[in-house]
Amino acid sequence: MSDSVNLTIDRGEILGLIGPNGAGKTSLFNLISGVLRPDSGSIYLNGVPIDAAALYRRARLGIARTWQNMLLFRTMTVLENLLIAPRSYPGESILRVVFAQGTVRNAEARTRDRAMTTLARMGLEQTAKEMVVDLPFGQQKLIGLARTLMNDGPVLLLDEPMAGVEGAAYETMQRVVREEAESGRAVCVVEHNVSFIRDLCSRAVFMANGKILQDGTVEELIASSALTELYFGV
Amino acid sequence: MEYLATIGVLIAIYVILSSSYDLVIGYGGLSTVAHPIFFAVGAYTAGLLAIHSGIPAVLNVILGGVAAMIASVLLAASALRVSGDYLLIASLGFQLGLLQLIKNLDFTGGPGGLTAIPSTVTGAARTPFFLVVSGLLAVATVMGIRAIVNGPYGRAITAMRDEELAFTALGRDATSMKIVIFAIGCGIAGIAGGVYAYYFQYISPDQFEVLQSAAILTMVVLGGMGTTLGPVVGAVLLLAIPQAITFLNLPPGIMAPTQGIIFTVLVLLFLFLRPQGIIGLARKTL
Repeated sequence: MSDSVNLTIDRGEILGLIGPNGAGKTSLFNLISGVLRPDSGSIYLNGVPIDAAALYRRARLGIARTWQNMLLFRTMTVLENLLIAPRSYPGESILRVVFAQGTVRNAEARTRDRAMTTLARMGLEQTAKEMVVDLPFGQQKLIGLARTLMNDGPVLLLDEPMAGVEGAAYETMQRVVREEAESGRAVCVVEHNVSFIRDLCSRAVFMANGKILQDGTVEELIASSALTELYFGV
Repeated sequence: MEYLATIGVLIAIYVILSSSYDLVIGYGGLSTVAHPIFFAVGAYTAGLLAIHSGIPAVLNVILGGVAAMIASVLLAASALRVSGDYLLIASLGFQLGLLQLIKNLDFTGGPGGLTAIPSTVTGAARTPFFLVVSGLLAVATVMGIRAIVNGPYGRAITAMRDEELAFTALGRDATSMKIVIFAIGCGIAGIAGGVYAYYFQYISPDQFEVLQSAAILTMVVLGGMGTTLGPVVGAVLLLAIPQAITFLNLPPGIMAPTQGIIFTVLVLLFLFLRPQGIIGLARKTL
């Protein structure tokens, strides 16, 4: 649940969203991306209200997100998971597939190149033909991020990307998220890993019970004893 | 020979029905028991046009498919806006309701059915002609569905079936895709209905009861849901095996129960020993 949330995410910014379990962080992502509809209030993208846009339309407008439990396409390969993910996918239309085969083929070729480039950024190009379920957990998380990056839109919402991730995958995730913000995307990260938030985020927001309690730098939030008590119970 | 050829026509028609049903439930992941009613829509449309109009047979069969497609879009567009599960309930209601309507209308022949559907071909050439036509349509159906489910459109269908929420959040319109898949599957069933009407020259409501869904579903499941050849193998086996048993020349009082027992044992054996079907692939899960 999110209650009276007022939040702005700017282009080029990495905003951290922290708070205890049940604070409403994922609910907020669900409201922004269109999984849930708010009872009141509005969501704006580049100053334009997008409340009427359904989930799939918001993705086409450029709101890309990851999921806590990844939701990868389990009967498909790594490459296939990425090929289905660009904002524009001509192969979705049976009429185009039948009557505009050249257009679909060309789009497929371009998407394939982008997908391999994205996998290479993650250091996972060698996994392209493997079934996604056969990969270790950390690599699956990176594939989830890679799939989301196939949406080249202005907004990137990352829901606990570091959960269960360590080592090389952790560093790759950090590097890629930083690069995305530097390219001009508005990035928001929900994370319990405070080090990740501290290393990456210029600004953070603390949520509890569906409300934003404090907005400031990561150091300001960590320094607040009231928030620390809420988060860690100490 | 005539008998075997008729079995061949039936097998071809059920290959079309089971393959199109597999497109809807196996690939599309849509829950529906209304496939027989779209078979019926196609059969009655083609049959009524054959009796009352001078429209050529080929066009009548196509119009039967179109009528089934339109009916399926009306059903899916309203049901899928609520949820995928609601389609199952709505399809059952649609199946039962429309069949009741057919039974109570005079111009459809009521419960007695539609008789004397004019034949396109007469004489000795009739059965071989229908065997070739239905066989070619069955091959075209299987290859057409294969083309749909391979390549970029098939990839979208698979992703939608695997994780619909993530699929939609990537920018894909899952509801529209489901309606299209449903319409294609039901339209193909309608065309099978048109061929059926022309071959047998008699159709009645009890040929399209909801239990037909169970028979077609069994063909799909036994053969392998979500595969191209699975429904073909399922249709051939489930139609050929009972007929093969008749060649044992058992006394009539024993024949029917024997067919039932052998058939049921085979189905149960497959369900326990190979639930993914004869052709089916083992599915991995996360």
